[in-house]
Amino acid sequence: MIVALLMLVGGVAVGVFGSLLGLGGGLLIVPLLTLGFHLPLREAIGVSLVCVIVTSGASAGVFLERRVANLRLGMVLELFTAIGAVFGGLMAFLLDERVLAGLFSALLIYVAVSMLRARSTAPVGAPRAIATDVVGPRGEGFIAGLAGPDYPVHRLGPGLLGSVVAGIASALLGIGGGLVKVPVMHMVMGVPLRVATATSNLMIGITASTSAWIYLLRGGIDPYAVGPTAVGVFIGASIGSRLAHRVDVRALRLLFTAVLLYTAYQMIRRAAGLQ
Amino acid sequence: MTTRTPIEVEVRAAGLEGSVARVLRLGTYAAVGLIAAGVILMLVAGQSPLDAAPPLNPWALPADLLAGRPAGLLWLGLLVMLATPATRVAVSCFGFSRAGDRAMAGIAALVLVVIATGVILGTAAG
Repeated sequence: MIVALLMLVGGVAVGVFGSLLGLGGGLLIVPLLTLGFHLPLREAIGVSLVCVIVTSGASAGVFLERRVANLRLGMVLELFTAIGAVFGGLMAFLLDERVLAGLFSALLIYVAVSMLRARSTAPVGAPRAIATDVVGPRGEGFIAGLAGPDYPVHRLGPGLLGSVVAGIASALLGIGGGLVKVPVMHMVMGVPLRVATATSNLMIGITASTSAWIYLLRGGIDPYAVGPTAVGVFIGASIGSRLAHRVDVRALRLLFTAVLLYTAYQMIRRAAGLQ
Repeated sequence: MTTRTPIEVEVRAAGLEGSVARVLRLGTYAAVGLIAAGVILMLVAGQSPLDAAPPLNPWALPADLLAGRPAGLLWLGLLVMLATPATRVAVSCFGFSRAGDRAMAGIAALVLVVIATGVILGTAAG
């Protein structure tokens, strides 16, 4: 009972942190379960995939109703994140857990360095509502139909390729993949950041559930471990979204960077077979 | 096929966003509710999350639910959560099709095919 409560509380903490810093919980759920509760890495990744679907589910609905997420663009890109997720989900069962730990530590270091280099200290909170085009093609060609009223969409090819990479990363590491999808949509395809964030959030459900099915059917998801973690993360994310504009995230960002670097160190030890 | 005016297409598509949002919200809350109920039963039964749960057996689910076993509620919650995004895509496919947007309806159908491929490959390898 105590372990279940600790897992629930850990999930709440991860949900609050993730929500305040605009990151999905996936980045922290895997370390929480592997380093904190000694779950096998692959099982922790399966639990994490379920948790990111839960957290994206409720908020994606809100972004759609506020007309921030671009449903049409999301649908096209998630076809390719889902393809990536099938490959990633199958690869995850072929790779040694030490390789997965090495990849995960590389991801943690990348995010920690990105956070240190971030010039803006503003939290990535709920995007401001804007009218986006989810209606019908304006202009000529398929890509024109994906654009919003106040922004075009460029370079669909690289965007689709980036989506496949995001799907593979999501399935291998138990993350939502927003770390790849948001920069691809914003910097490569020219989509405004708030739309990219909301659309990425909408896509997480398909991206993560495609590989989560593979994990579940191959016995890689234990419902006893999912239960307390998923409920905790859901509660934590709800609290975090209400606190977002009241908390100074600068100190939090530094603390989070330190946590990421320490976690990366532990994951590297695991990858090297020292744990 | 009848030709719809842009306004008709717009109204239908705007309705689609609302339907998709409702599916997502309903599915997520139902899944979290089932999982939370399973967690309460886990706590009452003193079940550790580190114990190995019984494997998924769809045929045993009704009996597990009736008997109030935590694993039954947790498995059902998990299945509802994993099925919710695919249901959202199916609703989108239907909505795009009704709005006369064949290309988007086709893409939504392809997304469902990819998910089904994952399920088939997962089952075959599992």
